[in-house]
Amino acid sequence: MTRQSLDDLRHVIRRIETRRPPRAAPRPVEEVLGGELVDTGEGQLVVVRREFPLSYRHGRQPLAAALEAPLDLLGVLARTETPLEDARRLLFLDAETTGLAGGTGTYPFLVGAGWLEEDRLILIQHFMRDFDDEPALLAALRPLIERASGVVTFNGTAFDLPLLETRFILARRRWPVALAHLDLLRPARRMWTSCFADCRLATLEREVIGVEREDDVAGGLIPALYFEFLRSRRAAPLARVLAHNRDDILTLVGLLGWFGGALAAPAELSATDLAGLGRLWEPVDLERSLECYHAALGAGLADEPAQAVRMRLAWWEKRRARWDSARSLWEAAARHMVFDPRPWEELAKFHEHRRRDFATARAIVDDALGLAEGAGVSSRVREAFAYRRARLDRRLLARG
Amino acid sequence: MLGGILDDLLTSPSTGPCITATRHFPPRPPVLVPFPASLDPRIGEALRARGIGELYSHQARVWELIEKGHHVVVVTPTASGKTLCYNLPALQALVQQPDARVLYLFPTKALAQDQLAELEELARQLPETRMFTYDGDTPQDARRAVRARANLVLTNPDMLHSGILPHHTKWATLFQNLRYVVIDELHAYRGVFGSHLANVLRRLRRICRHYGSAPQFIMASATIANPGELARRLTGEPVEEIAQSGAPTGDKVFVCYNPPVVNPELGIRAPYLGEAAKLGIRFLREKIATIVFAQSRLATEVLLSAIKGGVADKTGDSGIVRGYRGGYLPTRRRAVEKGLRAGEVLGVVSTNALELGVDIGHLDVAVLAGYPGGIASLWQQAGRAGRRSGFSVAVFVATSAPLDQFMITHPEYLFGTPPEHARVNPDNPFILVSHLKCAAFELPIADTERFGDLDVRRFLAALEDEGVLHHTGRNWHWSAETYPADHTSLRTVTTDNFVVIDTTARDEKQTKRRQIIAEVDWGSAFATIYPKAIYLVESEPYEVQALHFREDEEKVAYVKRVAVDYFTDAISAKGVWILQHLAEAPRPAYLAEQGEVLVAEKVVGFKKIKMGTLENVGSGEVELPQQEKQTTAAWLTLSPEVLARVSPSREELIDGLRAVTYLLHHLAPIFLLCDIRDLGSWLGDTTPATSGVAATRESAKRRLMEAEHFNPTIYLYDSHAGGIGLAEHIFEILPDLLRRGLETLEACACRAGCPSCVGPVNEVGRGAKATAQALLRALTD
Repeated sequence: MTRQSLDDLRHVIRRIETRRPPRAAPRPVEEVLGGELVDTGEGQLVVVRREFPLSYRHGRQPLAAALEAPLDLLGVLARTETPLEDARRLLFLDAETTGLAGGTGTYPFLVGAGWLEEDRLILIQHFMRDFDDEPALLAALRPLIERASGVVTFNGTAFDLPLLETRFILARRRWPVALAHLDLLRPARRMWTSCFADCRLATLEREVIGVEREDDVAGGLIPALYFEFLRSRRAAPLARVLAHNRDDILTLVGLLGWFGGALAAPAELSATDLAGLGRLWEPVDLERSLECYHAALGAGLADEPAQAVRMRLAWWEKRRARWDSARSLWEAAARHMVFDPRPWEELAKFHEHRRRDFATARAIVDDALGLAEGAGVSSRVREAFAYRRARLDRRLLARG
Repeated sequence: MLGGILDDLLTSPSTGPCITATRHFPPRPPVLVPFPASLDPRIGEALRARGIGELYSHQARVWELIEKGHHVVVVTPTASGKTLCYNLPALQALVQQPDARVLYLFPTKALAQDQLAELEELARQLPETRMFTYDGDTPQDARRAVRARANLVLTNPDMLHSGILPHHTKWATLFQNLRYVVIDELHAYRGVFGSHLANVLRRLRRICRHYGSAPQFIMASATIANPGELARRLTGEPVEEIAQSGAPTGDKVFVCYNPPVVNPELGIRAPYLGEAAKLGIRFLREKIATIVFAQSRLATEVLLSAIKGGVADKTGDSGIVRGYRGGYLPTRRRAVEKGLRAGEVLGVVSTNALELGVDIGHLDVAVLAGYPGGIASLWQQAGRAGRRSGFSVAVFVATSAPLDQFMITHPEYLFGTPPEHARVNPDNPFILVSHLKCAAFELPIADTERFGDLDVRRFLAALEDEGVLHHTGRNWHWSAETYPADHTSLRTVTTDNFVVIDTTARDEKQTKRRQIIAEVDWGSAFATIYPKAIYLVESEPYEVQALHFREDEEKVAYVKRVAVDYFTDAISAKGVWILQHLAEAPRPAYLAEQGEVLVAEKVVGFKKIKMGTLENVGSGEVELPQQEKQTTAAWLTLSPEVLARVSPSREELIDGLRAVTYLLHHLAPIFLLCDIRDLGSWLGDTTPATSGVAATRESAKRRLMEAEHFNPTIYLYDSHAGGIGLAEHIFEILPDLLRRGLETLEACACRAGCPSCVGPVNEVGRGAKATAQALLRALTD
C-alpha cells in the first residue's frame, strides 16, 4: 500500500465520522420492478410473478415441448446421479449473483424459478432488496425446491447449485442432498461444441432456438448494477437484469423442449444436429451414436464437420474390425478438399498390415507425399510418410 | 576423525589464534516417564510397535495440560520429540471420538509432507485416523474427497487463508467438530508472516464460533525468548508454556572463529566467506556430513561455488555438495533433502531456509558463515549438527560487521543472552484491513462484533466508503465481485512473485521452451534480477536479459546462461521522509521522535565484483521504478549548538553522522533482539517529502551539503511496511543505544574506522571515526 492509499483511508474515516447523509426515500423497489412484497415468515422479499401460456413460443420453440421431453433418456445423456421424473414437477432455476468468485462472500441476489403448471409456465423471481433479505429469499426458495422432482439449470453443477448450497449452510438450513439435477450445459457441450464459437446460453438460444434478445444486459455488468442499486436505491436499471434472468429461464425450458424433440424425432434434424446427437450418444449407446453419424453424412453433412464425423466413424469401425466400412470411410476422407494426412496414413496401414498389399500401400504413400508437397503440411508429417515409403520399399525388395 | 580435525583447528598456529572461544555442551541423559493412564491402549501399542515404551517428561506434561483444557505451547530444542507432544492428543481424539477433527498448520508444504509420513507410520494400526494434506499441491479433483474423508488435515496458513476459510461451508463438518489446531514451528510466525497469521487465526476462531466449536491450540516452537507471549498474541487466548525438555542431547562443541586480521591499519580481516569455505572443505574432504549456513542468497552461491571447487575430486564431480535456498524450485529442493537423508549428498550450503524442521537426517558439522542475525537462529542453525547422541561440532565464523565482531569478542554475551523475542503486530493497519475484508467475505461482521479483541468499526466504515462493504441491518456485508484472499499474501506485503525463465535453450533450438529456474519475491526482485544482473542458481551464472514488472504484465525475468567470472551487486538510492509525529522526547543535545515515515528505494545501478578476489571490475546503470513503503521509525535530530561545537565543517559532520548511523543500526539488534534486516537506517533531514525522489549516498550527501537549513536527522525504521513494533522500542532505548555505541567505538582498536565499528574508512571518510566519537560524547552527556 502506498502513502496515498493510507492517507485516503484516514481521510475517509474522518469524513465518515463527521457525517452520514440521510437517504431520500425513492419509489419502493417492488413497484419499480412490477412485483410485490411478500412476507415469508422469515422476513419480506420482493417477488415478481409472470405467467406464460404453454403455447407461447420462445424463439422457434413452444414451451409445451418441454413436457414431452423423455426425461429418462435425458437423464442418461446428461449423466444425472438421481433419476429425473415428471416434467411437470421440474424446477427451472437460474441465479444472478454479486460475482463469479464463488466462496462464502458471493450472494445470489436474484433467483428465478419456473415450473409448468396446467396450461401455463409460472415464473417467479425472488429479489433481495438488501443482504438482510437473504433469509426470506432462502425461505421462499426452499419449498419450491423441496416439492420439485428435480431442478434444471445451465452450468448449475459448477455454479448455481454450490452457491445456493453455501447460502443454505451459512444460514444453518438443510440443503436437499439427493436433489435430482439436470445441467443442460453437459449435453449442450457434446451437442454443439464444434458448431459454435462457444457454448454460452446466449449463443445457444440464438443459434438453436432462434431467440434474439433486445437490449440485453451483459452478464458481466450485473454485479455492478446491483451494487449501484444498494448505494443509490434506484431500482429502475435492475429491470433489465430481471428481464435477462426471465429470458434465461425461458431458454432453459426451450432447450429442454428442443432436446426432447431431437430425441423423439431425430429424422427431422439437420445434418449438423445429427452429428451432434451422435456425439451425445457416443459414451452411452454406441450403436445409436453410429446411426446418427451415418445419418448425418447421409443428410449431406459437409466440410470439416463431415471430415470429423468420417474419421470418428472410421475409428469405431476399425476398433470393431469392420474393415470394409472403415476403408470406404477413409477413402472418402482422403478425397476431402483440404489435404488431411490422417486417412492416407490409415489407408497405408490398412494395406500394409492388414491386406499385406505392399504395392498398393506404397502407391497410397506416394500419392499422399505428392499431395503433402503442395499442401504445405509440417515436415514431421512428410518425414513420417517418407519413412513409411522407405520401409515399404525394403519389404517389396525382400519379397522380390 | 571429527575430533582430530577439531584438535588441529584449536592448536594449529594458522587457525588456533582465530578461535576466540569454545564451549563444550556435555551430553544429557533423558528424563523418562511412563505412559499416562488416560492414553488409549491402542495408541500405547502403536508407540511400542515403534520402539517407544515411555515418554519424555515434556511430552507427558503437554498431555496433562491438554487434558485439563489448556492451550499449550511447547518449546524444546531440535530433535527432542516435540511432534509427539501434539500427535498424541490428536490421535487420542480421533481414536476415541468418531466425529472429531484436527487441523495441523505448518509454515511450508514440505513440512506438512514430512509430518504426514511420520504420522502415517505411527497410525498404521489405527484405522480410525484418516489423514491428508490439503494445500496448493492437492489436485483439484482430489479436494472434494479430502474434504469428505479427512479427520486430520495438514495444511499451511496460506491455504487456510485463501482456500479453506473463504469456503468454510464446504468444511462445515470440520469446523463443527474441530477439536485441536496444531501449529508447529511457531517461531517462524514472526514479523509480517506472524502478524498475518494472527489475523488468519482471528478469522478461524470466528468461523469456529459460527459452527459452535472452540478448538484447543497445541503449538510447538524452537527456542525463542517469548514463546508464551507469541502464542498468546497469535491465538488471542491464554496459553500454558512448557520449556523443560526431557529429551537427551549428544556431545557438542561450539567454536567461535574470527578470521585473522590481514591489514591492521584499516582493520581489515580475511574475507569470512573464504574462511568458512576453507572450514567446510576441510570437513567434507574427510567425508564428514556438513551443513554451511550463509546469510544471504548471494553468499550462498558464492560459498557453494568455492566449496564445490574445493571438494571436487579428479573427475570434477562435486555433486556431493549442493545448494539450498528459497527461490530454488520445490523439485530441486526436495531432491537435495532426499539426497541428504539418503547420504548421497554429503554437504549442503544453505540460507536459513534449512533452519526450519525440514527432515534432512543427521549431520555432524554446522558451519555458520556470519551471525545469522539472532540468537534463536544461531542455536537453530547450530542445532542442525548432531542429534540425540554422538559427537558434533558447530563453528561460527564472524564477518567484520559490528554485530558479528561484538558477538565474537563477547562470547559471554553470545552464550549468555536469551534468544530473541518474536514480535508480531496483528493490529498493523495494512494487515488488519486486508483480513477484515476476508472476514467480511466469510461471514457478515456484526455491529457488536470485535475482531480479536479489537474494535474495528472505524475500519469497516472506511471499507464501506471504498465500496467493498455494505452495511445493512446490524451487519457489514462483503459487496464486491472480487475474492479478497486472492489479493493478500501472508508472506509479504505485496502478492506478486517473479518467475525466472531460462531462455538459453530457446535461442539454440528455436523452440519456445519456457524453463522456469527460480522464483523471486517482489520485495527483493529489483535488487536481484534487474536487467544485466548476474543471477546465480547453484553457482551457475545467468544474465538477466529483461525484467517485466509492469502492473498489467506477467512478472517475469528472462535470463540466459553466461560464462562470466563476476557477480553483480545492486547500487540503490533511498529516501526517508516524515509522515506523522506520534511521540517526542526533547533532550539537551537532540530531539528524539517517533512516528510514521515514508521510505523510498530505487535500484539505480550495479557493481561487477570478481568471484574469488571480490574486486570491483566494473559497473552499469539500471532504469527501474522507485518502490515506496510507509512504516514506523524513530529518529533523532541534533541541536545546532552540538553540531557547531563538534565541527565547523558540514562535510566532516555528515561523515561523522553517517558513521554514527551505521553504528547505531548495527548495534540496535542487540537491544531489540531482532534480525538486523528487520531494521533500516538513513541519514537525512527533517525537510518534508516534496518530490519524494530517492538519492544515492553521494547525492544525498550533496543535498545535505547544499541545504539551506542544516538539520541532519538519523532515522532508524522498521523494515516491514506498517511496522511490527520495533520503532517504538528503539525510541525507548535510544539513550542506552547511544551509550553502547560510544563504548563500542572507544573499545575498537582500529585507527580511523573499520567495518567493525563505523564502517570501512574508504566509505565513511578519514575523519569519520573521530567525529563520530565526538558526536556520541555530546549526545550521551
